[in-house]
Amino acid sequence: MTAPATSRNLPVEVTLSDDSIAREAAALDSTWRDKTGFWGRLGAVDHKTIAKRYIITAFLMFIAGGVEAALMRMQLARPENTLIGPDRYNQLFTTHGTTMMFLFAVPMMTAMGLYFVPLMVGARSIAFPRLNAFGYWNYLVGVVFLYVSLLTNTGPDTGWFAYVPLSGPAYSPGHRVDVWAQVVTFTEIAALCAAVNIIVTVFKMRAPGMSINRIPLFVWAQLVVAFMIVFAMPAVATGSTLMLATDRAINMHWFNPAEGGDALLWQHIFWFFGHPEVYIIFLPALGMVTPIVETFCRRQVFGYTAIVMANITTAFFAFGLWVHHMFATPIPELGQSLFTAASMVIAVPTAVQIFCWIATMSSGRPRLTVPMLFVLGFLFTFINGGITGVMLASVAFDKQAHDTFFVVAHLHYVLIGGGVMPLFGAFYYWFPKVTGRLLKESWGKAHFWLFVIGTNVAFFPMHILGLEGMPRRVYTYFEPMGWGTLNLIATIGAVTIALSVLVFTINAVTSWRGGERSSDNPWNSSGLEWATQSPPPSYNFVHTPVVRTRHPLWDTGELPVITGLRTDRRDTLITTTFDARPESTQVAPDPSIWPLYLALCMGLVFIGSIFSPYFVLVGVGVAMFGLLGWGWESVKDIRQEIVELPNGAMVERS
Amino acid sequence: MKRLRPAADASALPTVTFGPRSIMWWGTLGFMTIEGWTTALLIGAYLYLRQNYVSWPPLRTPYPSLVIPTINLALMLVSIYPAWMAAKAAKKLNEAAVKSWLVVTVIVSVPILVLRWWELRALNTRWDSTAYGSAAWTIVGFHASLLLLDIADTIGLTLFYFITKMPVKTFSDTADNSMYWYFTVGIWIPIYLIVYVGPRIF
Repeated sequence: MTAPATSRNLPVEVTLSDDSIAREAAALDSTWRDKTGFWGRLGAVDHKTIAKRYIITAFLMFIAGGVEAALMRMQLARPENTLIGPDRYNQLFTTHGTTMMFLFAVPMMTAMGLYFVPLMVGARSIAFPRLNAFGYWNYLVGVVFLYVSLLTNTGPDTGWFAYVPLSGPAYSPGHRVDVWAQVVTFTEIAALCAAVNIIVTVFKMRAPGMSINRIPLFVWAQLVVAFMIVFAMPAVATGSTLMLATDRAINMHWFNPAEGGDALLWQHIFWFFGHPEVYIIFLPALGMVTPIVETFCRRQVFGYTAIVMANITTAFFAFGLWVHHMFATPIPELGQSLFTAASMVIAVPTAVQIFCWIATMSSGRPRLTVPMLFVLGFLFTFINGGITGVMLASVAFDKQAHDTFFVVAHLHYVLIGGGVMPLFGAFYYWFPKVTGRLLKESWGKAHFWLFVIGTNVAFFPMHILGLEGMPRRVYTYFEPMGWGTLNLIATIGAVTIALSVLVFTINAVTSWRGGERSSDNPWNSSGLEWATQSPPPSYNFVHTPVVRTRHPLWDTGELPVITGLRTDRRDTLITTTFDARPESTQVAPDPSIWPLYLALCMGLVFIGSIFSPYFVLVGVGVAMFGLLGWGWESVKDIRQEIVELPNGAMVERS
Repeated sequence: MKRLRPAADASALPTVTFGPRSIMWWGTLGFMTIEGWTTALLIGAYLYLRQNYVSWPPLRTPYPSLVIPTINLALMLVSIYPAWMAAKAAKKLNEAAVKSWLVVTVIVSVPILVLRWWELRALNTRWDSTAYGSAAWTIVGFHASLLLLDIADTIGLTLFYFITKMPVKTFSDTADNSMYWYFTVGIWIPIYLIVYVGPRIF
């Protein structure tokens, strides 16, 4: 490592004694630990605590969305079934889609980043811990709001994309669509808070020596996705809050053709977010695949640079193909051709990543542990979904398959294969890091086989059903259509998936409570997240590590570290954006109740606005009080500082 | 676990920095990007709706008035000066000057927020009249929420400076607060041109 200009070099022969490390650790723990008790927990800001809450809430949402799917499959298991009526069915498929996309997939993928990005880059904390807590509380308000609404028969019922004019005031009176519009807003706020946090953490808080060509590939994927969130989420927030909700609440005319509004504007706005959304779910999952493949093949991944470039290219293309969701609308032919081409081209960077992993596996010695099995399951299932995606990119085919079960089959192959399978693999891989205990391997294998078989049994028949013309979003079908057998098979597959998730849940709960204890680095992995204890302490690392290669724990010899960060306050090391040279230390904020308070104010603004626009004024008013409280807390923090002025001069001030 | 070897010492590093060296600057930039992009999307939607009309503004809708919006634009441009001076003083850790310039910034910026109400009236249409009115009101209203947020932040910051001794780091936050103000004023220029002047042109 080149010595930073502003830090002193130390003699290289010294290693830190266990005693000195233990002393530092005790001091750090008392500085960094969140408070206990009811209010202490509500004010927690540790990124790992917040991320665990996200992960558990999002997993509960996965189960809730799964129960909704199971109910729909029960209804469709035979023709002319009367288990669920059309109105309830509409609420179920809308809530299923909304839950899986907005309340499970995106929060889960960003939460994995919120937990692991600071650990992987060797930081003590995330960049903005309070903003992080604020994001989580917003998300939780959205979760509670959606499910209270569903259980009180006010669940949204116009599909997860809420197309106008169906979702407009003329065709959807009542508050069901309002619920959808505001739930989306909460989850957007949460995602944007997470994205800014991840970007700044990666840009400014990497361990010294972790130049951009040494950033772990999971972190790269999270960084690229954070940028996608910054540009995608404002679109749906604009569409749902500033347009759809205002059309419904205060008679605006964004989507009212009688007054010059435009129904297709909604589709453009929604899919400009909606298509990148798929990659916002999918790219972090690909980022999880790389460390699993590296660890269980005992080999550095093939084509690091190619994978990074593939991530960035995918992100760019992802914003250029939203119109392929709109081929059944009057879009100019040239536009159709352009978006067809873009939809096909995006397969290329994904293929690059897949070939890189295959090359890594073929030149290494794969061990078929459960995480690795899920990676293989991902490759098989996702490639199938990818191929039907290329089929759907063709306008002629799309017009035949549009709004049929073929599309349902495609999107579930892509999202379950490309999102959920790597995620399950990641759960098995990182569970020991988060909990200090191992998941049971035999249960994991049962989970894997049930899940992969269940997924294919549930969704493969839907391709055929779609080609036979069975439309999406119908609560039943007539017996002479001949769709009964394939639907029954799909339902059996859905039950198998449910069983597999039950196996996983039992395994997770029992292992967390009393599973086999794990060492700090049970798989002998190479990333910095394994350079600390399992579970990681509140301060992440006693000493900030220094990185010399892409695989710091596979390097021989001792791990070089930075000393001199204070233990009596929350010092974090800030480094330069490209080369990660130490630049300054900055103090992370203490726990605070204000993020929760402000999130509740947001709840008042957005939920209240459904009933009266005056709630917006009230909510903003009480939020101002919260902003002052938030600011005031930092005022107490008077101490001696070394100030680097913009002209480079250093002065000491308190 | 691997044995740890101290490689460098961080105790002499600065603890307060300005601009891109401070993480708060990056966070501010992140939210500026999000809000700027939201504005761009709204303007895109406004122009998209243009194609549904023969004339713009729609028939029987007068042009937006220019007097109040132009006065307010001038006021916003003027307000950059005290904000810039406050940032300049903050970068020299000159507390007295920071306080004075923040007070001037507040005095200049509060009327901007008040004038915003008349600026909405100057659109000469209602939000519930036509899609044109909806789009214009939403864009100007969304920008008003940015104004409100930054002015509230500036007022809070100013109050704190007068009530108590502020930590040194606040100087860096003050400079970032000014940056956010330049942004808020900066994105108003295209909004003014498109929403108020634009209907006379396209």
